[in-house]
Amino acid sequence: MSVSARSVGGALADIVGRDRLHDHSTLTAAMAIDGRRPAWVARPRSIDALAGVIALAAEERLAVTPRGSGSSLELGFPPARVDVVLDLSGLDEIPEYNPDDLTVTVHAGVTAGSLASRLAARRQLLPLDPPGWRSRTLGGLAATGASGPRRLRHGTMRDLLLGVRFVQADGVVTWGGAKVVKSVSGYDVPKLHVGALGTLGVLAELTLRLHPAPETEGTWLAAFGTAEAAGGFVAALLDSSIEPSRIEILNAHVLRLAGEETERVAVAVSIGSAEAAVRAQSEAVERLARAAGGAVTSVGADFWEVYAQTARAGAVGLRVATLPTAVIGAMREVERHAPALVTGSVALGTLTVGLPAADVETTRALVEGLRAFVADAGGSVVVERGPAEVREVIDPWGPVEPGALALMRSLRDEFDRGRVLNPGRFVGRL
Amino acid sequence: MALSRGIVDELYAIVGKDGVIVSDEGRLVYECDMHTFYKGAPDAVVLPTTAAQVQAVVRLCRRERVPIVPRGSGTGLIGGAMAPAGGVMVATTRMDQVVELDLPNRTATVQPGLINLWLTRAVAASGYFFAPDPSSQMVSSIGGNVATNAGGPHCLKYGITTNHVLGLELVTGAGELVHLGGKVVDRPGYDLTGVAVGSEGTLGLVTAVTVRLLHVPEAVKTLLAAFASLVRASETVSEIIAAGIVPAAMEMLDRVIIGAINAGVAPVYPRDADAVLLIELDGPRAEVEAQAERCAAICRARGALQVQVARDDAERALLWKGRKEAAGAVGRVTASYLLQDAVVPRSRLPEIMREMEAIAARHHVMIANVFHAGDGNLHPMICYDDRRPEELARATRANDELLEACIALGGTVTGEHGVGIDKAKKLPLQYADADLNFMYRMRRVFDPDAIMNPGKLLPSHPACGEGFRPTRPALPAGTWI
Repeated sequence: MSVSARSVGGALADIVGRDRLHDHSTLTAAMAIDGRRPAWVARPRSIDALAGVIALAAEERLAVTPRGSGSSLELGFPPARVDVVLDLSGLDEIPEYNPDDLTVTVHAGVTAGSLASRLAARRQLLPLDPPGWRSRTLGGLAATGASGPRRLRHGTMRDLLLGVRFVQADGVVTWGGAKVVKSVSGYDVPKLHVGALGTLGVLAELTLRLHPAPETEGTWLAAFGTAEAAGGFVAALLDSSIEPSRIEILNAHVLRLAGEETERVAVAVSIGSAEAAVRAQSEAVERLARAAGGAVTSVGADFWEVYAQTARAGAVGLRVATLPTAVIGAMREVERHAPALVTGSVALGTLTVGLPAADVETTRALVEGLRAFVADAGGSVVVERGPAEVREVIDPWGPVEPGALALMRSLRDEFDRGRVLNPGRFVGRL
Repeated sequence: MALSRGIVDELYAIVGKDGVIVSDEGRLVYECDMHTFYKGAPDAVVLPTTAAQVQAVVRLCRRERVPIVPRGSGTGLIGGAMAPAGGVMVATTRMDQVVELDLPNRTATVQPGLINLWLTRAVAASGYFFAPDPSSQMVSSIGGNVATNAGGPHCLKYGITTNHVLGLELVTGAGELVHLGGKVVDRPGYDLTGVAVGSEGTLGLVTAVTVRLLHVPEAVKTLLAAFASLVRASETVSEIIAAGIVPAAMEMLDRVIIGAINAGVAPVYPRDADAVLLIELDGPRAEVEAQAERCAAICRARGALQVQVARDDAERALLWKGRKEAAGAVGRVTASYLLQDAVVPRSRLPEIMREMEAIAARHHVMIANVFHAGDGNLHPMICYDDRRPEELARATRANDELLEACIALGGTVTGEHGVGIDKAKKLPLQYADADLNFMYRMRRVFDPDAIMNPGKLLPSHPACGEGFRPTRPALPAGTWI
């Protein structure tokens, strides 16, 4: 170990505390990212300490990979360099909760599950429910741009993130946005950070818009003989005055994983509202499903827990986005290549695909086939999960419009020319 | 700054002679937007019809280091569409086409000059609407809505413009034509669409906008509740939200406004009320019915003098009529006023109302209030007589104190009108140097030579500030805010 490395370790220990720093003597293989072992894992307890770590890394030209719960470290290219892993799970305070304003300010390491328990007491919720959301951190959900079924009604993190405190690549703590539900003061800086993997700043604190939890929510599963019939049902649903809170499609492989012996395709529909309104709308849902040739059963609220598990199964995970009218076609395209687990939103045009095996050639054929299929519509296929060797040879992000990519590169150069933050992982290996 | 003959000739070559205005009387029309405080005519106005023309104009201006000021319908309230340093104004008036309606995918792509309400009219028969409803929606352009990230009464439930924009075609200040986002969601990379919305033309010129369309709700219900106290009415707002109801809109009018409307528009509101709260609910019928009952009960429990539920569309329109004509009606009680757009957390509404009364008393000014109560977005009008300079001075002090009070409660400088030239100097109340610096650097990435709408959105640009004196400080009649 070099003198310089020893002194960096000492400086890191001074910043975060000896007991919050792993170095070569305590690092385990599990702390590696895509096989790249960091020299240190630092777990700051405060935003000041977080800023101190990044300032030091910038000075020493070290590469920093932020991590929340570690659920999405496979998103993007394998990192070009990993020197310091910044474990943000220690930033777990909720400094402000204003139920009457439907806003909350949390530190980046707070998990969505612990926030949910806090909000439940006031019958409120943060409608962000990607698979595994309970154990994931809010900073991670923002940095990865994760979303789930509730997005249909309430949008994604981009619609819910009001303000953000972040640490720039030189260690400067910066604030963007506002703490109120409506503000157009200056640029919408929070949006720049959603899905940016911390490449323009490591997220430290988020101010979020909340929603009232529905008085009651019912969930129904409608099963159809074909994907086209299921798609037709969703189209009819969207064209009606019914306002579901979640609508997701599930293919037969998913249903079998969930314990149903079937060749069918199902649509799960939830309606959350006042009790009378749920009743009235559920009758309309049943009518539409039957008209489309579907069989409807009422399922419990825990259906969505089963759904979340199946949506994250498989050795390689893809995220597909296309036009809503092309989703069923994309689903067919997936199934033509592999017996994959497919869930998604016919309403929004998104699919989550789980491949049973992490075979590079099968994955490549599927990803290329799908990219060709969604190209005309301006869609995308992202490899969001899978072994490093897959994400090394297949661009996990796919093509980005050249003009837009040039702007992204300029932004990255402007704010992190030395590539301190998450180097190489983002689109275009930024 | 005057443009050289050569530059004008090049503009002619790009958009045609009938697409360039250089005469003094022609340019005068473009010297200000609805915020008539700030005047500055451009040296030329160009009226392009295509993105290629816009790009050619930007490239020319960049080469010649000539400022560019974008303009939609000129209905902004922040001096965003005036030319403090002269230069070329690019008006989108002739880019007013619907490029594509894709109803099965619930999107529309339009040119920036299309009037907001025209889009809703184009899709209404199919059961859809474009949700952002700034009060100016009958005349304001979608490009302008995008530039200011416009809100409106119904953004309480539906969100502001940015929540409905899926993609943009943009000519950056560097002269590059880029496509950001699109009809398909979740495009990998930074959310540049999200950054460009609300950038007030400082990053580039939008040449096409792809927006989301929503299904028209099954039912709409409007309630009017009159209160003997503005503070009481404000508490009611918080209680409705706390009950788990987010109405489509919740609007408040104070005594001054109620009087002005009853006298000047129609006697629609109870005479003895100190505050009127308008609540609109929409959605599935059964949900709307249940929520309307609950809202009415909360209002009564809070001591409302009167709770009225509109029975049909005609009654609904009548309840809204006063609200929509409020800003114009104020002209009956004051010659001039300063208008604010600050936001406070809605739970602090009672506090800021009390504070506002104290400020008004301290500076001997009348403050009229009509505002988006549901999201805490205030529009206090601080009245003064422009023939008496000392009144303006007092109004300005009251205005500054009120803004500072809003920020102290955790609020923001502008909720929906935007920053423009009017509020640029106020941003440091809300942001530290590091925060502003981040925004400056971001701007430079898109606009390396600082030609795009200089003096707007961020403070301390040389063109922004003391040189601009109020000239005629009132909104034109008929404006509603």
